[in-house]
Amino acid sequence: MISVLEKSPTLHWLGRQLFNRDDPAAFFDPLLERINPMWVRQYTPARVKAIYNETADTKTFVLAPAGRWKGFAAGQHVNIGIDVDGVRRNRTFSLSSSPIQWRADGTVTLTIKRLPGGLVTNWMHDHLEPGAVIGLGEAFGDFRIPDPQEPALYIAGGSGITPVLSQLETMAASDYRAPVTLLYFVRTQADVIAAEKLHALASRWPAFTLKVFATSDTHPPQFLSEQHLDEVPGIAARRCYLCGPKGLMDLANDLLYRRGIGEDRIHSTFFSAPTANLDTESLGGAVHFQRSNLDVSSEGDAVLLDIAEAAKLSPRYGCRMGICHQCSCRKTSGTVINRLTGKASGPGEETIQLCVSVPSGPVSVEL
Amino acid sequence: MKTMNETQLKELEKDLDTIRDQVISDLGERDARYIRKIVRLHRSLEIGGRVLMPFGFIPPVFLAATTALGISKIIENMEIGHNVMHGQYDWMNDPSLHSQTYEWDTVCTGDSWRRTHNYEHHTYTNIIGKDRDYGYALLRLSDDDKWKPAHTLQFINYILLSVFFQWGVGLHELESERIHRREISVREKIPFLKDFFRKGGRQAFKDYVFFPLITFPVAPVVLAGNIGANLIRNLWSSTVIFCGHFTQDAETFTEEECEGESKGHWYLRQLTGSSNFTGGKWVHLLSGHLSYQVEHHVFPDLPAHRYPEISEKVQAVCKKHGIPYNTGTFAKQYSTVLKRIFGYSLPDRMRNRLLPEFRNRAVG
Repeated sequence: MISVLEKSPTLHWLGRQLFNRDDPAAFFDPLLERINPMWVRQYTPARVKAIYNETADTKTFVLAPAGRWKGFAAGQHVNIGIDVDGVRRNRTFSLSSSPIQWRADGTVTLTIKRLPGGLVTNWMHDHLEPGAVIGLGEAFGDFRIPDPQEPALYIAGGSGITPVLSQLETMAASDYRAPVTLLYFVRTQADVIAAEKLHALASRWPAFTLKVFATSDTHPPQFLSEQHLDEVPGIAARRCYLCGPKGLMDLANDLLYRRGIGEDRIHSTFFSAPTANLDTESLGGAVHFQRSNLDVSSEGDAVLLDIAEAAKLSPRYGCRMGICHQCSCRKTSGTVINRLTGKASGPGEETIQLCVSVPSGPVSVEL
Repeated sequence: MKTMNETQLKELEKDLDTIRDQVISDLGERDARYIRKIVRLHRSLEIGGRVLMPFGFIPPVFLAATTALGISKIIENMEIGHNVMHGQYDWMNDPSLHSQTYEWDTVCTGDSWRRTHNYEHHTYTNIIGKDRDYGYALLRLSDDDKWKPAHTLQFINYILLSVFFQWGVGLHELESERIHRREISVREKIPFLKDFFRKGGRQAFKDYVFFPLITFPVAPVVLAGNIGANLIRNLWSSTVIFCGHFTQDAETFTEEECEGESKGHWYLRQLTGSSNFTGGKWVHLLSGHLSYQVEHHVFPDLPAHRYPEISEKVQAVCKKHGIPYNTGTFAKQYSTVLKRIFGYSLPDRMRNRLLPEFRNRAVG
């Protein structure tokens, strides 16, 4: 009922006058949330339907998003929002299920591995229970199944398999005839995510070849090599998809490049690696000012406000000593250190005070 | 003002930073639950007040509806809006409680408030000539202004300011006194005035046009109730705010004293320029915890419901450094505010005779 405040322009205008906010429908959220958290308007809620163990450190979360969620294409990712100890944390994960499943029963899955020291992934593993409601953003990303069909090669590592699972399931269900090969690198056989599903796909889908390599099960450990690629028939004609840890992605890119496979035929998707422990040496980094579309680099303990001003931007500011919050601004990615407390921020989207925030590595802010 | 050397100021800074760090490291679930509970209380009171108001032709219902709406506006302005806009809850990363985008239920725009209050008032607290909140360029409250015959009537100005407080706050950034002195032109204020009329119009439309109109047969009742609710909020918030810096012992400062000041000196100024009043839990809630004005000025971006918890520590720091901690009952503090407003409306000699506690030593 309250959604009319979003749909009708007149009522939306009226709502803005009455509630002093650009999303008037969300005015009632604090009360509605108490009655049924799926009625919240500020973000798209999704209910956790079930949670399965994939491996010792990986779980699959089955989510049922609210009806207004717009859906996705296989291989895309979503931002999720979770309140951990009073703080809303936003993180990006790939959807591991196929859009066919979402159309059939309204559920999607996220397959998430615990990251050592990872605030959100560990919280989800330890505290998220079926029945809970989390925030789910619209899907985005251009890691997409080849259309029209053509031969494909997937190289995945560890939990980088998640968007690949979504794509393989979708291809299998849509009668994909061109050859598809997956080279899946894991540490040990016990780390294979969705093993059953992968083997089931391999047995019922003739065009699909599955090869799993447990790098640490052999001596010396086996990493991606020329030989692996030699064994993929007709590799030069294949569209290549990479998802995994940075080392594997770099190696794969390099090997494929040397085989003369053009950049436009290699698709990579992000993979969130655990962030290293910060030390004072790690201050500074590339700063991207989104709205101005400006890239600058910073060194040492320069704060973002000074960096922005040096780049001829004029962000709003006040006391320049961390008191008045005039300069508070959205950071969309990257880590900053608070000059006052010495504490590092999270890597995700959040509000920071420009006048006391020092970049630690690449940072992107809404300025 | 109490004078302290740089070493002592450094020590003061360190002591207060310790209190701040303890709270910051403890922020979490409890604070989030608190502010969300207050937001729910606000929504319930506002919805309750608006729904009851058309039945206000029954006198007790009129009283209940007007009170509910008035209190909802007080809570929204004082405990939610003011505090959220200070960035007290930015760490929650909740877009509805974000300092830079929050817009409150009053005439003053959030942007104007963030400039005049968060930045000017909290940075230059009680520095005469820089903190325009000291007397709102409308009242003579210290000897820094020379007495003029017009000041005799300032008590009337004070009452008018309190009654129309939301409009006064909304127009604060116009800096009419500087326009009057021809330091700035009206033209420079056009963008501000546009925002003022947009927001002021929106507030007036809501309370004085829209809600009366949709309840047409009882429109006069609804209009009266909405005026009443705004009046309750105006009188209360004005009173609370006046108790924050204009009590008898709240000090003022000169620009020279504060030039190139250290963080420690800034802390000292906040401690000596602000004043608290005591009261029950509800008094603190309805004042947005500005009853802990001292704690608020020292730590403007700590969640306000924490002020009662850290008050003892702040008092201990004051005691250690021999800094006065200005507090008293609401009645006592407010009576000194009224005396100050009255006293400074009089010629200095007459004030010295009638109100020796506000004595001007330069005059016999």
